[in-house]
Amino acid sequence: MASHVRLDGRKTTETRPIAISFDKLARADGSARFSFGETTALASFSGPIEVRLASELPSKATFEVHLRPLSGVSAADAKSLSSAIRSSLEPSLFLNKAPRTLAQLVIQSLSPSRGASWGDSLSAAVINASSLAIVNAASIPMRGIVCAVAIGSLSDGTLVLDPTDAETAKLRGTGCFAFMFADDIGEAGTEIDCVWTSWRSIVGGYDEKELLRAKEVARVGARTVYSAIKKSIQGAILGVGTAEQTRDEIMKTDESESSDDDEKMII
Amino acid sequence: MATVTTPITPLPPAPTSKLNHLSQDEQDALKAAVFQRLHPRAYLEKFLAEDVRPDGRSFDGFRDVSVNVGSISTADGSALVRMGNTTVVCGVKAEIAEPELDKEEEGFLVPNLDLPAMCSPKFKSGPPSEEAQVLSDRLNQALLASNLLPLKTLCIEKGKAVWVLYVDATCINYDGNAFDATLLAMVAALRNTTLPKATYNPEIDQTLCSRKTPRVPLKLSPSLPISMSFGIFDSKFVLADPTSFEEPLLDTTISIILGDSNQIVSVSQFGSTMLTVEEDGQDTRRDALAECIEVAKARRAEVANEIFT
Repeated sequence: MASHVRLDGRKTTETRPIAISFDKLARADGSARFSFGETTALASFSGPIEVRLASELPSKATFEVHLRPLSGVSAADAKSLSSAIRSSLEPSLFLNKAPRTLAQLVIQSLSPSRGASWGDSLSAAVINASSLAIVNAASIPMRGIVCAVAIGSLSDGTLVLDPTDAETAKLRGTGCFAFMFADDIGEAGTEIDCVWTSWRSIVGGYDEKELLRAKEVARVGARTVYSAIKKSIQGAILGVGTAEQTRDEIMKTDESESSDDDEKMII
Repeated sequence: MATVTTPITPLPPAPTSKLNHLSQDEQDALKAAVFQRLHPRAYLEKFLAEDVRPDGRSFDGFRDVSVNVGSISTADGSALVRMGNTTVVCGVKAEIAEPELDKEEEGFLVPNLDLPAMCSPKFKSGPPSEEAQVLSDRLNQALLASNLLPLKTLCIEKGKAVWVLYVDATCINYDGNAFDATLLAMVAALRNTTLPKATYNPEIDQTLCSRKTPRVPLKLSPSLPISMSFGIFDSKFVLADPTSFEEPLLDTTISIILGDSNQIVSVSQFGSTMLTVEEDGQDTRRDALAECIEVAKARRAEVANEIFT
């Protein structure tokens, strides 16, 4: 299985080259661009900002995610993905630190979505760009960083990380996994928590073992994404000055988590 | 000298005194209902601490399901599903259309779920809510992933005419877990669907259906997808088949779709599945996904026996 060679010469457990840039969209609090090879997404984050009265929440910030495809208006598939993104990023944010406000994430896909639905690698790029934009804004304290990768299963059972469009046509099963990475929590060092699973068969079904195997391969893949993200933050933001705060806020998770529990009990 | 021990003053007459015309049981029920409205989280926590859910189910208990097929005579196939109080009605309507140029032999399957204002005060009238759109898209993905209806079987004449199946579901009473109920209704409705015999006539470039020849059922794959959903509350409790009261309080939702012989068609999980369990005074964390899959397998067999045999 390990000897499987892919069309572009990658190993099965290798993603396409990851590129990260912070675009400094002038009117947003934070923005970032993330790509796996050609698959690119651009995310912008604003918050805490004023919230519409109808969606105001008394105990936490309202978290909105808007996803725009490369062409046309966003349809049901984009709505579905944006709700998945919201639920996978929400565990990483301390939204209760800014009640009665709005945290708004707008993501623009810079790659065409294949056919009727968003590809899994595009979904992964979208999530990674979103995490980076929120870190770049540094306005909402975070528990960890959510990183996602796409994964596919070939007809012989080989799992391939970050499948390209050409490979996707031959897949038997496909999916996307997102993990939340939090450094310095507990004794185990980095804590990794799966926050989004979407694993579907294309031909026939699969069994539990394959799901767990896929999740493990994805976990390793997500770790490479995490290192890339960490490196980009250290390189691009820490030099700027204000970003000291970002890092502090990410690191402060221990304290914030305990205070979060207190609040839960009061509510 | 004044008396030292004052008798305990009775509690000031609570506003409930207006409710004196009600029996004690009715007053208690009213108090519980008010508590549930004002503090839904605390209300649920109190039940779960006693190892039971507000509706009397165990944590991994599903609600009773009943399916009634063919009740809409104007549709080509239909089903009505009740899952506890959640009621979904689904009708299949067939039309003839031209196929897409790059998929000349494939028909179309268009599932849609409507959550009208009628089914719950949660929903507003007007254009489909975000929740309805998200559910419709997930249902579409589930039907595609399970390959229940191979789209090539909907071909009438290659490149000229194919069937379009509109699988429209409407929720008429919403009490949570609409996804499971709707998928069940759609599968049951597709099983109930029959199509007239259609022939394409190249001379007049039209497709003709005959009323005289008997209608034929769809060529469905024998592996019927059934979805089982779970929710995680407070990183501690895994609740199967959540109701509309439990749903907004959940941190995580998991949907597991199983086909025949427990083949997994799709697993989707939104939020973390790690549970914090107290063991020997220490908090340990474990993943709940594997146990959900086990519960789902047992449940799939039950539902399939009851409904699809």
